[in-house]
Amino acid sequence: MATVARPRVDTGSNIPEANIQLPSVETYGQVTDEIRRTLNPTKAWLAGLMVAVLALVIGIVAWMWQVYMGLGVAGYSPPVMWGVYIVTFVFWVGIGHAGTLISAILYLFRAGFRTTIYRCAEAMTVFAIMTAGLFPILHLGRPWKFFWLIPYPNWRLIWPQFKSPLVWDVFAILTYLTVSTTFLYLGLLPDFAALRDRERDPLRKRIYGVLSFGWRNSDIEWRHFARAYLFLAAFSTPLVLSVHSTVSFDFAMANTPGWHATLFAPYFVAGAIFSGIGMVFTIIIPIRRWFNLKHYVTLNHLDAAAKLCLFTALVVATAYITEFFIGWYGGNEIEHSFWYNRVFGQWWWAAWIMLTCNTILPLSLFWQKLRRNTTWLFTLSLFINLGMWFERFVIFDPSLSHEFEPWQWTRYAPTYVDWCILLGSFGWFSMWFLLFIKNFPVVAISEVKEIVPPPLRVAHAVEGIEVTGMHLAYEPETPGERD
Amino acid sequence: MEGIVGVFRELDSTVDAIEAVKKLRAGNIRVYSPAPRHELEHILNTGPSIVRRYTLIGGLLGATFGYWIPIWISDYWPLVVGGKVVPSWVPYTIISFELMVLIGSLATVLGLFIVSRIPRITMTVGYDERFSDANFGVWVECPPDRQADVKDALTKHGAVEVRGEQ
Repeated sequence: MATVARPRVDTGSNIPEANIQLPSVETYGQVTDEIRRTLNPTKAWLAGLMVAVLALVIGIVAWMWQVYMGLGVAGYSPPVMWGVYIVTFVFWVGIGHAGTLISAILYLFRAGFRTTIYRCAEAMTVFAIMTAGLFPILHLGRPWKFFWLIPYPNWRLIWPQFKSPLVWDVFAILTYLTVSTTFLYLGLLPDFAALRDRERDPLRKRIYGVLSFGWRNSDIEWRHFARAYLFLAAFSTPLVLSVHSTVSFDFAMANTPGWHATLFAPYFVAGAIFSGIGMVFTIIIPIRRWFNLKHYVTLNHLDAAAKLCLFTALVVATAYITEFFIGWYGGNEIEHSFWYNRVFGQWWWAAWIMLTCNTILPLSLFWQKLRRNTTWLFTLSLFINLGMWFERFVIFDPSLSHEFEPWQWTRYAPTYVDWCILLGSFGWFSMWFLLFIKNFPVVAISEVKEIVPPPLRVAHAVEGIEVTGMHLAYEPETPGERD
Repeated sequence: MEGIVGVFRELDSTVDAIEAVKKLRAGNIRVYSPAPRHELEHILNTGPSIVRRYTLIGGLLGATFGYWIPIWISDYWPLVVGGKVVPSWVPYTIISFELMVLIGSLATVLGLFIVSRIPRITMTVGYDERFSDANFGVWVECPPDRQADVKDALTKHGAVEVRGEQ
């Protein structure tokens, strides 16, 4: 037997350290109660849901108009036959990547700050992929024949070409959606059980009971759960890198100026993670404020996530510089002409929105005060979302409108149909996310309990019992903060 | 199935109680906790999870299937483009990788469900709703003649409630 005193936590301090401790969260019961409380619907939430549905309806009406009139109303004319839809498709696929990075890769790296934000990030991934998956269908003149896209031997004289990047894309996106949904649901299982056991409404109790599959928190379940969770995280990690690499092959495999580059796969992956982290800030900062979760998603957690954002911004900036340098110095006249037209010519405004939002503004995160300023983080995240949408715009449309022959040089401008469908995609994403956060725990209950010190008898503990959570060694001299 | 369930508020009490009950050799022990704790895993001395076998088999099947399907379809519909070989394993590696991840992941979850014996339609004896909130639980499956000893051990080590169930 050994005597171990509970570590002293100075909750009054606000030391800017990216540790994971939650000094204001003291008991397991507090965790269950406070996170359950976020499930109560509010008027602000209902108003937000109505706005999201309205945006979705606008998008649906625009799409129906496009189906009736044809794709010409979306501003397409040869040679620019890919526009806002492919831009938005890649944008939403990219948004999903940070969710998997935070929930899976940071889990493997035992980065404790992920614990309180990963649920939101993973849900964001699933809904972002659901949104992205709409765009190949929206892009069809006859969307009711979308199943022609699925590659299998058929009698419709359609050749299933497994060497095509577009076919790889189908497999990559569907696998990503399935694995991400499975990963999200697996993490929710113990939380459904906690909600089931605390619920008093018989109907909701029954629903949570079905969703929890009869989970009981037994030692056998936890043992296998931990291993399954680890393997799913291990599968998701290369998946994150492969999915956006595959998306980048849609372009890099084509002999088009600005696209045919070996840089594209890492460039796309870094950009995807960067944009996703931006969206995580856009989502998590209002949630921690409106749901009174500041003592769960602490400034230390945001600080650590902001460092990750800064790092990925630097990687993206390096990719831009490399791409521009090769265009300028590579000795290929076509590439040089294209590069100049993109950065200083016809598309300068889009390129400089991209550069400002994605490389200049994120440099502010070198300052710790700004990393811990939620207003700035939220504002910056909006700029990052804008910049990353424009990054995809700058990659796709300048290339298609400035190919090898001067007769191919043209202009492209999105129409009101494009903008309405883009708005509708945000409405679709927001609607699902808002429904999620009022029906499911927005912070992982069981994982937070892992980092809360367990209840122990006063001044007594059995030898070998850790007085802290599992993720990181506790350092009593480095307290967390309360903001 | 009958036995004794003890409800505990503290982790160290639970560990003490499990140690004591193990010494009694009264019957199978099942432990419930609001979050996974490796202290409990150590005291129960359980072996490694066999979920990994499902993962391995699922991953291998997925990778094989991912090569087989495109090769079969290419041979079924052999259009030669640019004089290149009809079934080409290099681009098919992408399909193989994706299906390895997909089927491996689904097999992992299937394995979890099988070895954890879920979905479970009804809660089995020995479970208490407090175990998913803030309390720990120790369920000892034992015959009636051993129940008094088990009750004593659990109470002595800090159980806030001890009851028999069947």
